[in-house]
Amino acid sequence: MKKIMMRRREALKVGLGAAGLVAIAASGATALADAISSAKIVGSGEMAKGISKPGKLRIGFSNGFSGNTWRTECLTSMLNEAKLNTDRYELIVVDGQGDISKQVNDLDDLIVQNVDAILCIANSGTAVVPAFRKATRAGIIVVPFNLPVEGEHWTAYIGTDPEKKGATTGKALNDMLGGKGKIVALGGLPGNSYTAGCWAGAKSQFEPGIQILAFKDASWQEDRAKVVMADLLAAYPQIDGIWCDGGQDAAGALKAMIAANRPLVPATGDDYNGLFKLYDAQKASNPKFKIACVSEPSWEGVVALRTTVKLLSGQDMPKRQIIYPLLIDDSNYTQFMKPGLPDGVFVDTLLTDDQLKKLFG
Amino acid sequence: MIGARASTLFRRSPVWAAVVLLYIVAAIVSPAMLKPAQMLNILQVTAFLGLVATGQTMALLTGGIDLSVAGVVTMTNIVATSLMLGQNQNIAVAIICCVLLGTAVGIINGLLIAVLRVAPIIATLAMNSILFGLALVYTGGAPHGSSANAFNVIGQGRWFGLPASAICWLVVAIGVAYMMRRTTLGRWIYAVGANEAAARLMGVPTRIVVVTAYALSSVLAVLGGLLVTAYVGNPSLGIGNQFLLTSVVAVVVGGTALTGGIGSVAGTIAGALFVTELTSFTNIAQASTGTQYVIQGVLIAISVVAYRMLGARTAA
Repeated sequence: MKKIMMRRREALKVGLGAAGLVAIAASGATALADAISSAKIVGSGEMAKGISKPGKLRIGFSNGFSGNTWRTECLTSMLNEAKLNTDRYELIVVDGQGDISKQVNDLDDLIVQNVDAILCIANSGTAVVPAFRKATRAGIIVVPFNLPVEGEHWTAYIGTDPEKKGATTGKALNDMLGGKGKIVALGGLPGNSYTAGCWAGAKSQFEPGIQILAFKDASWQEDRAKVVMADLLAAYPQIDGIWCDGGQDAAGALKAMIAANRPLVPATGDDYNGLFKLYDAQKASNPKFKIACVSEPSWEGVVALRTTVKLLSGQDMPKRQIIYPLLIDDSNYTQFMKPGLPDGVFVDTLLTDDQLKKLFG
Repeated sequence: MIGARASTLFRRSPVWAAVVLLYIVAAIVSPAMLKPAQMLNILQVTAFLGLVATGQTMALLTGGIDLSVAGVVTMTNIVATSLMLGQNQNIAVAIICCVLLGTAVGIINGLLIAVLRVAPIIATLAMNSILFGLALVYTGGAPHGSSANAFNVIGQGRWFGLPASAICWLVVAIGVAYMMRRTTLGRWIYAVGANEAAARLMGVPTRIVVVTAYALSSVLAVLGGLLVTAYVGNPSLGIGNQFLLTSVVAVVVGGTALTGGIGSVAGTIAGALFVTELTSFTNIAQASTGTQYVIQGVLIAISVVAYRMLGARTAA
């Protein structure tokens, strides 16, 4: 399959026109040296057909839920983007409140309202399929992002690849430990497919010398991770590394190590500000402490929105756009860390510090 | 002789016997459970659930249930961290605000149940939803702030070699246990739970008792929320969710009847210890989260059946 690569900054500022993509691929462009802008987006060779719709567009966004910081940053970025383009489109946001059936009802409502396009972060990758089928048959552009959905009843998809992200953090942890050591792993909500994908990717990178002592769910919450890690510390006198798919888990686990007076060890996570602040505060007194994190960019929604507008302007777009975020480690974390902002901020964001301060104020 | 004593212990305080037996089994399977650090860790973590479950006991003793405790813990965490902002001088204001809010929530729950005759499960579930919604509105989905260092001592520190959180919990729980056994209010709560109509005929102000019980439940959930906030130091919109089920499990395992009127705070102390011990053991034994949920559900069912059988035998 032909792969098309583009820089995130170009994707965001120039847009994701197919002609532009081909041009970038043809010129063999690589990622920028600037850490924050060097995340790249790889588009599939398979293209989605654009539909030219004149006049002011109506775009619906079915958000699976809105109860965490990442979703808030994502939604705020999308609303900011929509505010800049009020002459071109109206963004209608509906919230599934974490309920699968409510989200399906929300999607049906958007179809009945005859919107031009639907963006969606699905609560369930399978439950939304019938509604997506109904929408695509009605000629509505459907763009799921962040979490994949089953089937082919959608127009274009934007997101990261959990398995590849896990492989990145898994390899980094393996390398930080020199391919040898005992590790524990903490994941997100029980049974979620994102953690399963990440963990599968991570395990594929561990050398035989890496011994996995335990894998536990910690719900991406510091308090849960701290409690679980305290038990694991009692059970295992030697823990050389911690693999996590979320920064909250890593921060909670590391705080449990601090409480148990154990020296901090290499850990992985995402772009959770609290983890970078913790690393910054503790690295001097813990020589073995290192971090390796891969973000889940909260600007995904903006890319999805711009892709949708391009499609509704008649441009063909890649069917799948996979975001390859940057590895954030001890060499570049200071470019991402926001010391003056709360731990809960996810730092790979389009929002400025002032906007974040206002949001978290 | 030993067998007879064990049998007596089982009959009088089956949950305490279960706590001891579980610990022995856990220690055999995983010797790590015998480490003093792990014992202290279990005590430290039990304190959060213990306080919330002590409040839940009040609600269950009246014949009701308080499913808003999860929302109250989350509200406490969000409000406390946003008011403290990591500054020691803000601790008092934050605590007072949380306690006042908790009291208001409890009084509203009580009024809905006692005056408007809304079923407790509906009233408190609705309140839980309202509190989570308010937390979202208040934070805009982006909670901010942190707890103050001096405050964190009660969640992370040690007093006399013991976890400060456990000392806070046990002092409060013993105080509530005393109130339940030795004061008029305590006896009224039991009376209302056993037979509300009969209690009313005896002159017990049943509505006031129910409102007071739910207010106490909420305030104790606030105290649990403050402890868990001090433990983790940060705000989290999902922090209270874990207490929705576990607080009921701890109370039921501790011997309090879901029908009201029967039970004790002392039993709940043991119930909270048992639940935390079990979670800790299953963590160490690498049981999956799914298995842990199954065990919790089975535990509720077994406890209800076992206490009913014990109650029937005692009555006979």
